[in-house]
Amino acid sequence: MLRFLIRRLLIALPTMLLIATLAFGLLHATPGGPFDSAKRIAPAIQRSIEAKYHLNEPLWRQYGRYLGDLAHGDLGPSFQYRDTSVNELIRQGLPVDALIGSLAMTFAIVLGGFFGIIAAVRRGSAWDHIPMFFAALGIAVPVFVIGPLLILLFAIQLHWLPAGDWEPGAVRFLILPVISLGFPYAAYIARMTRSEMIDVLGSPFIRTAWAKGLPKRTILLRHALRPVLTPLVSFLGPAFAGVLTGSIIIESVFGLPGIGRYFVTGAINRDYTLVVGITVLYGALIIGFNLVTDMCYAWLDPRVRLHT
Amino acid sequence: MRALPRALLLLTLIDFASCSGESAPTASTIRVGTALAADQSLARTLDTMPHSLDPALVTDSDGSRVIIDLFEGLTANAPDGSIIPGIASSWEVSPDGRAWTFHLRPGARWSNGDALTAADFIYAWRHQVDPKTGSENAQELTPIVNATEILSGHAAPEALGVEAPDPYTIHIALTVPTPYLLDLLADAFMMPLPRAALERYGDDWTRPEHMVCSGPFMLKELVIGNRITLVKNPNYWAADTVHLQRVTYYPLDRATQPSRFMAGDVQYTSFFSPQQYRWLKSQLGDQVQVGPYLGIQMLAFNMLEPPFAGNRDLRLALSMAVDRQILSDKVRQGVFPPAYAMTPPLPGFQEPLPDWASWSDERRHAEARRLYAAAGYSASHPLKVELVYGTEPTTRDMMDALAAMWRVNLGAQVEPYNEEFGVMLQDLALHKAKLFWSGWTAGYPDPYTFEQLYKSGYAQNFGAYSEPHFDALLAAASIEPDNSKRYRLLEQSETLLNAEAPYIPLLYYSTLHLIKPYVKGVPRNTMDIDGSRYIYILEHEGH
Repeated sequence: MLRFLIRRLLIALPTMLLIATLAFGLLHATPGGPFDSAKRIAPAIQRSIEAKYHLNEPLWRQYGRYLGDLAHGDLGPSFQYRDTSVNELIRQGLPVDALIGSLAMTFAIVLGGFFGIIAAVRRGSAWDHIPMFFAALGIAVPVFVIGPLLILLFAIQLHWLPAGDWEPGAVRFLILPVISLGFPYAAYIARMTRSEMIDVLGSPFIRTAWAKGLPKRTILLRHALRPVLTPLVSFLGPAFAGVLTGSIIIESVFGLPGIGRYFVTGAINRDYTLVVGITVLYGALIIGFNLVTDMCYAWLDPRVRLHT
Repeated sequence: MRALPRALLLLTLIDFASCSGESAPTASTIRVGTALAADQSLARTLDTMPHSLDPALVTDSDGSRVIIDLFEGLTANAPDGSIIPGIASSWEVSPDGRAWTFHLRPGARWSNGDALTAADFIYAWRHQVDPKTGSENAQELTPIVNATEILSGHAAPEALGVEAPDPYTIHIALTVPTPYLLDLLADAFMMPLPRAALERYGDDWTRPEHMVCSGPFMLKELVIGNRITLVKNPNYWAADTVHLQRVTYYPLDRATQPSRFMAGDVQYTSFFSPQQYRWLKSQLGDQVQVGPYLGIQMLAFNMLEPPFAGNRDLRLALSMAVDRQILSDKVRQGVFPPAYAMTPPLPGFQEPLPDWASWSDERRHAEARRLYAAAGYSASHPLKVELVYGTEPTTRDMMDALAAMWRVNLGAQVEPYNEEFGVMLQDLALHKAKLFWSGWTAGYPDPYTFEQLYKSGYAQNFGAYSEPHFDALLAAASIEPDNSKRYRLLEQSETLLNAEAPYIPLLYYSTLHLIKPYVKGVPRNTMDIDGSRYIYILEHEGH
C-alpha cells in the first residue's frame, strides 16, 4: 500500500510538470498579451510594465523563473488584479468553492443515494417514478437555468433567501448555490445508484442472503450497498475535483468570490500567472482525487488489488 | 465561454416571468416616506471587479467609479456632470489658456487627519508620468509641460510643469490650451496620493488597512470577486453634506444585476442589457432609468487597402444603406438612439448631420444603390467582405441585422466574423480587418475627444484614416482658447469626416440604471459619473 502511494506520488510530479508546461506554453502562444489595451501607452511605460512582470525576458527564462517560483509554492503576481498575487486570490477564493462544492456533493450523495436505493427497491412504484422524473429533469436542465429559477422563486417572489452574495459563516447565502450546484449531481447519482442497485439485487449472492432469511435492512446496507458504491466512486473522484475548483456559472449567478470566475476572466485578459496557477491547482486536485478513488476501490471491492 | 450562460440566463428570466403570468411584487409594494432613513447604507453594483484601486494604475470604468468615492481631486463633478470646486476652492487661468493657478482649501485633510496640501498633488502627478510607475493613463497628462519628454524617458519626473509656491497653491503650465483641463483634474487618475502610505507599504498601500483617502468615503473591506465596502470619511472637508454612512459595491454580471435588484439585495445598478429593457420596464416601471450617454457604436473601414481605401462611394453606400431607426427600435429596444454623426448631442455644439439623415428610407436606399453601382458593384459582382467584431453576447444580433440590411438594400455579401477581444485588438493594430466594429466613449463632454479617433497616427485610429485637412482643423481647434470658436472648427472637421465616411455611425449609447424609489440624489449626467457623495436614502417599507 505504501509503495503504491509513493509510486503514484512520484508519477504525479512529471505529470504536474507537463500540465504546467502545456498551460504556460499554450497561454503564451495565444495572440494578445496581458497589457494590450485599446489605450495608447507610451513605449517607455510599456517597457516598464513588461520589466516589472519579466515579460521582456526570453520565453525560456520566463518559463524557468515560473518553475522556480512554482517549486517554492509561489504562483506569482496576478497581471489582471494589479494589487494582488495569485496565491492570495486562490487563498481567498478556494475556501468558498471548497465549502460550496463539498456541501453540494454531500447534498448530492445523500439525496441521490437515498432516492436511488428507494427507487431500486420499490421498482415500478411511485417511489421509483417520481424521483426518477426529477432525476431526468436534473440531468437535462443545466445549472444556469436551475440557479436563476431558484432565485426567481425564493429570492424575488418569496424573499426568503438572498439572491446572491457571500458572508463567511452565514448559512442563508449557502442554500441556493449548494442546491443549484448539487442537484444535477444528485440526479446522476440517483440514476446510477438505482441501476446498479437493481443489478446487484438480482445477483446470486443477494438471493442467497434472502434465502438465509437475513433482515432486509442488513441485505441492503451491508451486502448490496458496497458493490453499488464502486462505480459511484469512480464518478465522484473527478466530480469532486471539479466542484472544488469552482463553478463559473454558480459563481456568476450568485456573485460568489470563488476562483472559477478568475479562471475565465484570467484567460480573457491573458492573466498568464493566474490561469497557469489555477490549472496547476486543478491538475493537482484531479491527481489527488484519482488516487483517493483508486484506494477506495481496493477498500470497497476485495477483488481489486493495488499493484505496485 | 461566459457568453452562453449569460445569454441563456437572460432568456430564462424572461421566459419564466412571462409564462407565470404573475407580475413581480416590486414598485407597488414599496412605500416611500419623506424623511431620511435611519440606516444610510447603499448597496450598488459594478459590471466587473476593478483591476486596481490605485488611482495611478486604474484602467477600467468600474475602478474609476470606486476611486471617485474614495478620492477627490482639485475639481469634482456636480450631479449634473458640470465641474465644481473639489480640494481646490478656486482657480485662475491666464488669457492664453496655458497657465493655471489653483487655490487649495486650507481645511482639506486626508482620512487619517493629516493636512492635504499641494505637495500631495505634485507628488501624485510626477508619480503618474514616471515610466517606472507603469500607468496606462500617463498619456492623458501630455498637455502639461514636459510630460511628453518624461514619458519618453528624456526628462526626470521632477521636470513636470507643475509647482507649489506654497502648501495651498498649485501652478500648472500647459503646452496647449486644454479646455477640458478642469474635467481632467476630476478624473480618477489625477487624484492626490498619500506619499507616506505609498513609501511605507509599496504596492500594498491600497489594502483597506493601509489606504489613506481624500474623498467622501474610505475603504473598509475588499473581497475580490465579491464586494468593496466603503464607509464615510469623517475628515472629508464637506463631510457634513455626505449622507451615506456605508456604500457596498458588488461586482456582478450584467445579467444577474436585475435579479439582485429585484430581490432587494442592491438598490442601484450600474448597467443592464438593452435587450432586457422592455421586460424590466414592465416589471419595475419608473425604477428603470434611461438617459443619454456620451458614447457611440460604429463600424470603421480599413483605409489602407481595397475595397474601401480610395472608394468613398462604396463607404457612403454602406453607411446610407443602414436603417438606424430599425437598429435602435428593433435590435436595441429603443434605448440607444440612432447616430448619423460622430459626436453625440452636446450643448453648444451644432451636430453636423449629413443631408441624408433626414431623407425617407426609399430615397436613402436609392442613393445608396446608386453609389454602390458607381463604386463598381452589382448583383453579378457583389461586395464580399467580413465584418469583424469582438466577443460580446449582445453585439451578434446587431451584426446579423447589419448584414441583412446590406444584403436586402444593396445585394452586398457581408459576413459577420467574431474574434475574441484580445485577438481582435491585435488584428486591428496590424490592420488585418477591412470592416470592423468599434465603440467609443468620451472622457470629457467635448467633440474633440470623439473626433481625435480619426486623427492621423492616433493610436486607436485602427482604420488608419489620414486626411491632412481634417488634421489641420483638429490642430487649429486644439490651440484655440475661445471655446465657441473652437466648436465651430470642430463642426467643420466633423462635416469633413462625415463627407469622407471613414466610419459608419450606428447608435449612441445610453445610461441604463435601476434605482429604488427611496434612493435619491443619484447623479444623472451624460458621462455616467455617479459618485455616492450626493446619494441619500429615504424612509421606506418593502424592498
